[in-house]
Amino acid sequence: MSGNSAFQLVSERCWRRGLGSMLKSEMSRWWKTRMWWVQCLIWAGILGFLLGAILFSSQDAPPSTEVAVIYAVFAGLFPAVGVVIIMQGTIVGEKKDGTAAWALSKPITRPAFLISKVIANSLGVLVTMVIVPGVIAFTMQALALRTPWTLPGFLAGLSVVFLSDFYFLSLTLMLGAFFSNRGPVIGIALGVLFLQQYLVGMLPFLRYVLPWNLMIPLGQPEDAVIPCLLVGSHNYSTILIAVIALESLLFIVIGLWRFSREEF
Amino acid sequence: MSTPFVIETHELSKTYKNVHALQSLNLKVQQNSIFGFLGPNGAGKTTTIKLMLGLIRPTAGKASIFGMDTIRQSVDIRARVGYLPQEPHFYEYMTARETLRFVAGCFFKGPKKAIEERIDEMLELVDLTDKADRPIKTFSGGERQRLGIAQAQVNYPDLLILDEPAASLDPLGRRDVLELMSKLRKYTTVFYSTHILDDVQRVSDTVVILNKGQLVAQGPIEELLARSEGIVYIVHLKGEVEAARKQVLVQPWVSGIVAGQHNGESAWQVSVSDPQAAEMQLLKLLVDGPVVVTEFRRKQYELEDVFMQVIEGGSNVRK
Repeated sequence: MSGNSAFQLVSERCWRRGLGSMLKSEMSRWWKTRMWWVQCLIWAGILGFLLGAILFSSQDAPPSTEVAVIYAVFAGLFPAVGVVIIMQGTIVGEKKDGTAAWALSKPITRPAFLISKVIANSLGVLVTMVIVPGVIAFTMQALALRTPWTLPGFLAGLSVVFLSDFYFLSLTLMLGAFFSNRGPVIGIALGVLFLQQYLVGMLPFLRYVLPWNLMIPLGQPEDAVIPCLLVGSHNYSTILIAVIALESLLFIVIGLWRFSREEF
Repeated sequence: MSTPFVIETHELSKTYKNVHALQSLNLKVQQNSIFGFLGPNGAGKTTTIKLMLGLIRPTAGKASIFGMDTIRQSVDIRARVGYLPQEPHFYEYMTARETLRFVAGCFFKGPKKAIEERIDEMLELVDLTDKADRPIKTFSGGERQRLGIAQAQVNYPDLLILDEPAASLDPLGRRDVLELMSKLRKYTTVFYSTHILDDVQRVSDTVVILNKGQLVAQGPIEELLARSEGIVYIVHLKGEVEAARKQVLVQPWVSGIVAGQHNGESAWQVSVSDPQAAEMQLLKLLVDGPVVVTEFRRKQYELEDVFMQVIEGGSNVRK
C-alpha cells in the first residue's frame, strides 16, 4: 500500500519483535491508570498500620528481630496475594476477552507478548508493593527501634521480599499460560502460597523448594532469610535464595513454551 | 518470492477434537482484489482467517500469504497485514488514540508528528475524532467496530483481512465501509468475511462460499450468477394459455416450463438450453399465438439465489 516515506519499519528482530510496543502498553496499564497509586496505598497502608501498631503501641520498643520477623510476614506474604490476583487476569483475562488474539494479530511474537508482561508487572510490583511500603517501614523502625536495621541489610531484605513476589508472579503467569479459566490459576497459586507451611511440615526438604522460609522462620526466630538480612544475621540459607530464583525463571520458560503452543 | 496470488491455501484443514471446522480448503486470492468470503455461521470463515494469521495451527494442509508460510513466517506476514476481528476487543484502559498509537508502534517508527498525523487521519476516516481521547470502555459496539476498521489500516497494509466488518454498523456505517473498501482496492487486497450478501454483490470481485467447513462455490460474481440455474425467461400472459404452452414446449431449445399465477395472469418460468434461439424466437412465438404477453424478461439471479442453492443443496456434510 502507499505508505509514508517518513516511517521506517520497526527494527526489532527474532523473538523481540513487538516487545517495545507491548512493553509500552503494559507499562501504561500500571502507570497511566490509577493502578499504581491504588496498589501503593493498599500495601503501604496495610504495612504502615500493622507495623505502627507494633512499634508505637507500648512505651518500650520491641526487639529489632521481632520487628524484622513481623515485617517479613506482612511485606512478604500479604502482597503475594495481590500479585496472584493481578497476574491471574493478565494472561487468562486476555485469552478470554480476545485482546491477546488481537494483539498477536499484529507483528508481535508470543515471547515478546509474555515477557513484556513479566517486565512491566515486575516493575509495578517492585515499586508499589515492595519499595514504597518498604521505605515507609524502614522510616518507622528507624524512628522507633533502639538498634535500627542498617540500610544495606534493609536493601538486601527488600530484594528477597521482591524475589518472593517474583516467584508468585512467574508461577501465576505460567499457570495462566496453561489454563483458560481463572479458577485453577488463582486456586493453585494461592494454594501454594497458603499451604506451604503444611507442605514443609510434611516434607521437610520442601523448605529448600518453596519460598516459605524466605519470610517465615521454621525454627529459631532468626532463621528466615528476610529477618536475618534485616538484622545482619548470617543464619539463613543462600541455597534457598538461589533455588527460588531458578524456579521463578523456570516458571517463565515453561510459560513461554506453553504459550507458544496456545491457539486463539 | 513473488507470486501473483496474495493468499494461497492448499488442502488447508482444521479439526477441533472430532469437529472438522475446515476441510481441505483450496483458495487463491488475486492481488488488489476484493475477495468476499461467504458462509452461514459456523461455516469456518473465522477459522480460516485465524489460520492465515497464525493464531491457530492447521491440522493438515498449508497456507501462504505473500508467498510466505503462515506458520514459519507468521510475524513477517502480520507485519504486512491489517486485521479487524469479528468482535473487536481492545485494551480497555486505553483511549482510541492510544490504541492507534499502540498499533502503529507495532509496525513502524518515525517522527512523532507524522505518526500523530496518520492517527488523526484514521480517526477522521472512521468519524471518531471527537471521541479520540475517551477510554474505550465507554465505547458502543458500533464505535468499537469503527475503531477496529481504523486500527486495521493504520499500517498501510498490503492485505486487509476483515472479519464481518459491517456486522455492528448501522446502514450509513455499512455504506461507508463498503465505499472505503472500494477505494482501498487501488492500494491493497481486501479479504473479508460476511453473511450480508447484498454487500458482497456490491463490492466484491471474487466470492467463495463456505459451508460446514467445505468450499462449495468459488469464482467471480458474474460467473457464479451465470452458473446458477441456467437461463430462465419470466413470461406473464393471458388468453389461450394452454395452447401457447404446448406450442412453446415442442421447441427443441426449451427445456421446461414452470407455470403459476400472478395477479390473475399466467406466470411462466421458461428454462431454455439455447439462449440465442430463445432470444430470437420465444417472444415472437408467443406474440404470434393466441395470447397477450404482459411481461417478458430474462431472469436476473441475485447472489442470494446462488447462496441458498449451494447451502441448501446439502451436498457438503461435515463428517
